[in-house]
Amino acid sequence: MSQDQEKRIESAGLASNAGRSKQSRRFAMQYFRILLVQLALTCLLALLLMLKDFVTAYSALIGGLLYLMPAGWFSLRVLVKNTAQTPREILANMYISETVKVLLAVALFSLVFMLVEPLNAGALFVTYILLQVTGWYLQLKLNQRFLKL
Amino acid sequence: MAELLFIAVALLLGLSALAGALGVSLLGGKFLEGAARQPELVPLLRSQFFIVVGLVDAVPMIGVGMALYMLFAG
Repeated sequence: MSQDQEKRIESAGLASNAGRSKQSRRFAMQYFRILLVQLALTCLLALLLMLKDFVTAYSALIGGLLYLMPAGWFSLRVLVKNTAQTPREILANMYISETVKVLLAVALFSLVFMLVEPLNAGALFVTYILLQVTGWYLQLKLNQRFLKL
Repeated sequence: MAELLFIAVALLLGLSALAGALGVSLLGGKFLEGAARQPELVPLLRSQFFIVVGLVDAVPMIGVGMALYMLFAG
């Protein structure tokens, strides 16, 4: 089978088992690349804000990590450590992972607001929202198939 | 004043939870429908499901963060 034919079959989602796992691996790699870009963006923003003052810089860094840690854990559990095969198992795995992700985010937000003093909440939320928006944009931009649906 | 703050935090947290739960459960239902119609597309549907879950829970998570900030900073 030619590479062109394989690509066409893959893009229709009709690949064999080996093809499917290759597809999943490729998707996971793509997703983790997005997370890496977001981490780089957070560090860059924190470095730029360091010119203003130290509190704003570490608040921005914390805002970025508050987004990246639950999102990284969720994607690791769903995309890498996932043994679910049937739709029911996939759905259960997704629901459990999402619940734990939300609980993790709540726990991290609470810990930060209780323990970190002084904190620039504006910088924290701006970074957090910026990462959410870049996440939407990069996912829609990189996943071309999603745009065609 | 403190009572109003607690009511505001409760509303923010509750509405965020409700919105997230509704969105993700609707998505789950559609995923099962799609998987039942075309089982060969399950890996593709799973990837799309994963992406859209990320999009759906973004705004409720911002609401949760702001509610917790109001609770602890207020």
